[in-house]
Amino acid sequence: MVERDELEKLAELVIKKKKVDEVELRISHSDSSLTRFANSRIHQNVAQESTSVSIRAIKGKRVGSAGVTNLDEKYVLSCLRNAEKIAGLQPEDPNFKGLPEPKEIKRAAKKYSEETAKHPPEDKANMVSNMINYADKRGVDRIYGALATVDSSIFIANSNNVSCWDKFSRADLSTTVIADWDKDRGFGRGEACSGDIKNIDHMNVIEKAVDKGLNNLDTVSVDPGEYTVILEPMAVNSLVLYLSMMGFSAKAVQEQRSFMNGKFGDRIMDERINIVDDAYDINTLGYNFDFEGMPKQRVDMIKDGIANAVVYDTYTAGKEEDKESTGHALPMPSSMSPFPLNPIMEGGDSSVQEMIDETDKGILITRFNYCGIIHPVKSIVTGLTRDGTWLIENGEVKDPVKNLRFTQNLLDAFDSVDLIGKQQELFSMGYIAGHVLCPALKISEFNFTGGTEF
Amino acid sequence: MHAGANMQELVEYGVHKMDDLGPDYADIRISDISKQNISVKNGSVESIKDDISRGLGVRILNGGWGFASTSDLTKTGIDVAIHRAMKIAKASAMATSKVELAEIDIHHDKYVSEFKKDPFQEPLEEKLELLLEAEKRLKVDDAIKVTNATLLAWRFKKWFASTEGANIEQDIIQCGAGVNVTASDGNDVQKRSYPNSFGGVFHSEGYEFIESLELIENAERVGKEAVELLDAKQCPSGDMDLILDPGQLALQIHESCGHPTELDRVLGTEASYAGTSFMTPDMLNELKYGSKIVDLVNDATAPKGLGTFGYDDEGVKARKVDLVRNGLFVGYQSSREDAARLGVEVSGNMRAQGWINLPLVRMNNINLEPGDWSREEIIEETKEGVIMDTIKSWSIDDKRLNFQFGTEIGYLVKDGEIKQMIKNPTYTGITYEFWRNCNAIAGEDEWKMHGFPNCGKGEPPQSMRVGHGCAPARFRGIRVGVGKW
Repeated sequence: MVERDELEKLAELVIKKKKVDEVELRISHSDSSLTRFANSRIHQNVAQESTSVSIRAIKGKRVGSAGVTNLDEKYVLSCLRNAEKIAGLQPEDPNFKGLPEPKEIKRAAKKYSEETAKHPPEDKANMVSNMINYADKRGVDRIYGALATVDSSIFIANSNNVSCWDKFSRADLSTTVIADWDKDRGFGRGEACSGDIKNIDHMNVIEKAVDKGLNNLDTVSVDPGEYTVILEPMAVNSLVLYLSMMGFSAKAVQEQRSFMNGKFGDRIMDERINIVDDAYDINTLGYNFDFEGMPKQRVDMIKDGIANAVVYDTYTAGKEEDKESTGHALPMPSSMSPFPLNPIMEGGDSSVQEMIDETDKGILITRFNYCGIIHPVKSIVTGLTRDGTWLIENGEVKDPVKNLRFTQNLLDAFDSVDLIGKQQELFSMGYIAGHVLCPALKISEFNFTGGTEF
Repeated sequence: MHAGANMQELVEYGVHKMDDLGPDYADIRISDISKQNISVKNGSVESIKDDISRGLGVRILNGGWGFASTSDLTKTGIDVAIHRAMKIAKASAMATSKVELAEIDIHHDKYVSEFKKDPFQEPLEEKLELLLEAEKRLKVDDAIKVTNATLLAWRFKKWFASTEGANIEQDIIQCGAGVNVTASDGNDVQKRSYPNSFGGVFHSEGYEFIESLELIENAERVGKEAVELLDAKQCPSGDMDLILDPGQLALQIHESCGHPTELDRVLGTEASYAGTSFMTPDMLNELKYGSKIVDLVNDATAPKGLGTFGYDDEGVKARKVDLVRNGLFVGYQSSREDAARLGVEVSGNMRAQGWINLPLVRMNNINLEPGDWSREEIIEETKEGVIMDTIKSWSIDDKRLNFQFGTEIGYLVKDGEIKQMIKNPTYTGITYEFWRNCNAIAGEDEWKMHGFPNCGKGEPPQSMRVGHGCAPARFRGIRVGVGKW
């Protein structure tokens, strides 16, 4: 990792050498390692180290961007000149209000874990071996998955005196088991995500996955239709992520493609649903500022079931009266920015077992696979169940079910929530330090439109 | 020193260093990737960014696999990466089984993709002028809320060497562009794109391909279609004949033939992430995948495809391999390791997104070969059906059996004629049932090469550029109009 003072010197040089009105420098560094296992053996094992430099050059209301993967002054200055050249060749964007001014950034209570950042491949191999041995002893044929650790940092500076640096660490473990390989059945899943490898209880993860796999052998078909469902946190994670993609960005609202359009102040979900974006929550992970160097603010997107707010970067804030960035810019330029990188669905007071106990007839779902947005304004999403789905009858988990396809208006689903889990779980979005924190849910009406053969 | 000569020197340095360590196998790949991304939106430039990404990855097999990558393109950087990869390979050996690699011909070669105009040499002003004019012409009505035109270009320079003696240099140019528009009347939102959604269509060609797309000439039509969709009839629900134009059929091929014939998925190495496949080895040369007119090929030699190259990232020379012939499942996409495990032909499908990534089995160009119909004949001989075009949504299960797709636009066909536009078209099915119901494929004249720059796979995730050539085709008795609206 490059030290902060070296990066600040580079920023001073870029700002001093600029030939345009404003300039922004963003330097990302990532050193990650990932051990992947399949068929109960390690088959891919990688270490990836990269440094990338991005420069935005501002000439009036024109923005040019360029990037390079080298910190050498010669390459960085060449990158600056290229960004300046690009800025000079384009028409003005009247909506661009300039780079942001510095704002106070508070530090989150989260701790960076050196042990996670430097977690060696031998330790990963040992953890994976333990999981393989455990599954083998329980009679599971094969296990699959990945154990990853990430050490990343970000430095952002601009010619308006913004200068900030932060780092974070993360450990991720996911595993899928196939209990009966010959008959291609017995799928089960376990996951864990934390800022510290010490919090990854790999034996608990494999135990959960094995339990699911061994209880998922003789699947039965269920007719499509409306069912009460109990969604474990892994499944709720997908729905919260797709809600975020469809509706919680100011850009989506400004482009009139959000389900929040025309509904601010209206109740659009059950009144017990609260979804916030809060990078400072002790249970989530991420940087303290966004990719323009603006402090991340808590935004209550859904408050007591009411469409309350969306997230902004400086550009989208500049397009509206009396709006400021909420600290949700993605690496610029970006067609996706702004975006809530730390969505949190607040927990309730039920356990999954209590949800099962109180269900006469329903379906218990581990997670969803390959969701797709059918209509963002109507919040219609489709996807399939995966790695463990069971019928619930009279308060008991019964037969495992062949995977089902849902096609569902998510606002309707969140409006028919019966129970909310008290325990939240953390999931990585898989890109740019984004994480979802969410509980389990019991939903009274969920629409399945088809099924598959396994 | 010339940059290329320097890179050549570095790969030779790296491969000799690794050879000295005596691994079972090792290779080094240096990449110098240039990317230009331009987007104009609502009359302004949304973004213009030029990226240069340079670095190297080393892959070592020493009892187990180890891979390390770095952006430090020096001999010291290579030494550190080799040390890391070797350490990782030893750790892998703690929990692995014996790895064998299928034999391949060893090449010393240089490959340059075909192009007339280097998109990076075309003046930026001209590219902007094209996009701004096309984008302006999309705005045909007040209901249009977002107008957008985009252009992407890449240049991949790669140097590859292996301890088996391979030494390959490649220089590949790819680009594409598109326009899209969002219309809203306050109650509904509809989108149209040309020549396809998600940025358009991309080829291994030069700027001449972007010029051939005629973005400006098509913009007004695309804008009008978006507005018309707001008042169009909802797609009906039921079983009927489905005619897919290439703008959607390309994705159908991608999801329901491309992914399930990836041998790494079949052998389980993607089971925890992307999933597995229903096309298991016992079905090879047995499974009736489609009707007799269905021929699907994996072809890295197809002209202009986004998955066209000289050599894959294991040094395997580009080739054409049958996946489905006369409807019968006959082949896989494979790596050297997977091919050796199953005893099948190496297909040359190992590719990495960039220097930072480990190569994986990725689609090259998965093409549906042309039939002997014309689109007009297909429509004329359809009693009741729906035409669908342009990707909007997609979802498929983790064995690639149950799929559901949505397209931007559709048309009802009745008694051999197109009757009216419909909105929110969706269809669903089971892969082999769907392809077995393919009863008409248009011919070579209407065959188009589509390309997607964003096929996701692997952990850490990688995004790959893949090609899909096809002509319009018809499928009998497909369930359309899924869900509540």
